[in-house]
Amino acid sequence: MNSQSYTMSNALEAVDPMVQRLSAAVEPSLSDPTRFKFELCISEALNNLVAHARPKASAAEININLRVKPAAISIEIFDPAGAEPFDLREKATDLAQVDEMAEGGRGLGLIMEFANEVEYGQSVSGYSLLLKFWDIEPNHTTMPPAEGACE
Amino acid sequence: MIHTTQHDDSITVVRPGVERLTAQNATGFKNEVVELIDQGNSQIIVDFSQVSFLDSSGLGALVGVLKKIGHRGDLLIADLNSDVEQMFRICRMDRVLPIHRNVDAALQSLRERQ
Repeated sequence: MNSQSYTMSNALEAVDPMVQRLSAAVEPSLSDPTRFKFELCISEALNNLVAHARPKASAAEININLRVKPAAISIEIFDPAGAEPFDLREKATDLAQVDEMAEGGRGLGLIMEFANEVEYGQSVSGYSLLLKFWDIEPNHTTMPPAEGACE
Repeated sequence: MIHTTQHDDSITVVRPGVERLTAQNATGFKNEVVELIDQGNSQIIVDFSQVSFLDSSGLGALVGVLKKIGHRGDLLIADLNSDVEQMFRICRMDRVLPIHRNVDAALQSLRERQ
């Protein structure tokens, strides 16, 4: 298993470069469709943090831990220090319930739809969102990881 | 940011001019297309052939453009890659934004309506 840590400034313009950097790191391990889902979920999660997390210090950074295994990825995104806890599982709107003419409100639902697992909780490093992805595409024969296999 | 091609029959094809339509640039994209509409363009095809990634902000920008056009015209989507098209369908955007396999198919569809 390969583990990598990243730090991102709490700024909108920092999100997409980080998403592309993370996507490049998982490219050898995921099929293109699963990597798209990974990119989309990370983009939505980071944009949500940057837009809505209100850390006590505006310069508080966002730390990210990425664990890469063949055909299985887990990524942990830490809330910036001092931000109010935000469990997106409680706030996400089912995509089927979002008005087609709404200009927003789909981001959290997309995470719930596309990530294989979504968890949120507190550790010694602070509150974090944990997302897991794995391949079930025909060209990837690896089975989904057992519970906790990415831990 | 956007690139436009005007056709003789008052149809405007818009290329977003970015490979990734995200929260960082979606508002700029929307504002530029809205400006086109304000200039009298109401038959618009957005060509996604050069766009590999789009997030919910990009979807929201398209809805904003669609609202701006309202009943005065049409907004069609062309040449989505398979991943983005799946996202469109899961978000049920295909109910309000007709998706065509390429610009030529979208042009034909619009001309048949005229």
